[in-house]
Amino acid sequence: MRCEECSDKLDRFVDRELTNTEALEVQLHLEGCPDCMEHYEFQEHLKRVVKHSCDCDTAPKAFRDKLRQILS
Amino acid sequence: MAEPAAQTAFAEEALTHLDTLYRGALRLTHDPDQAQDLVQEAYLRALRYQHSYQQGTNMKAWLFAIMRNLFWDRFKGSRKDDVSLDDVGEFVLYDKLRDEGARPESDVLDKIAASEVVAAVDKLPPLHREVVVLVDVEGFSYKDAAQALGVPIGTVMSRLHRARQQLQKSLYDYAVESGIVRPGGMTQVSQQ
Repeated sequence: MRCEECSDKLDRFVDRELTNTEALEVQLHLEGCPDCMEHYEFQEHLKRVVKHSCDCDTAPKAFRDKLRQILS
Repeated sequence: MAEPAAQTAFAEEALTHLDTLYRGALRLTHDPDQAQDLVQEAYLRALRYQHSYQQGTNMKAWLFAIMRNLFWDRFKGSRKDDVSLDDVGEFVLYDKLRDEGARPESDVLDKIAASEVVAAVDKLPPLHREVVVLVDVEGFSYKDAAQALGVPIGTVMSRLHRARQQLQKSLYDYAVESGIVRPGGMTQVSQQ
């Protein structure tokens, strides 16, 4: 696999959306290519940062209780 | 209407997805009160139409679809075609940081406050924001995101790609404005 192809598949690799065969091909390329590996780790890190920044909001308990009452 | 026991079981299962719906509503409306109204109405509607939910399919995606459709009906008059992203071209934050000597590049991300990341997500147009919320924040697969948004998987992928480009551009702009990155120079990512 060439670096360009790896780069094209990086989003789907990070999102775990490649087929097993495709993912293995990307994995093998990453293991032999420090530049692509660094890029991959950066993309993974970015996705984690977005998740952790946005997923700390939870529904207030009073709202949860109110909904439970309304729905029962 | 379903039997009371069945209705209670349905409501209990639906409520296990409350945080996902609330976070999604919050990111779409930017307002906790409006988010609660939207989620409450979505749950009432879900209960009313529970017969249309197919057991064994993804309830979280189904509930999210109800909530986001209500959002578009209520706040956008169902017009989903009036938002667009500025064309930032192929903006790859990693390449940009690398060009500017920020090593290791990942350290820059750790310097950006969570509130700035949330602000960058909130700045995305709603059609792009909701895809980031589903895939990056809530961990939906492309298939489940496509179901929740009522679009083909290809549309999820293209919106996600463009949203991430814009997001990276916003984070880069913030990193420059706040002095985390110095454009054109060898950037030192200081250790705190």
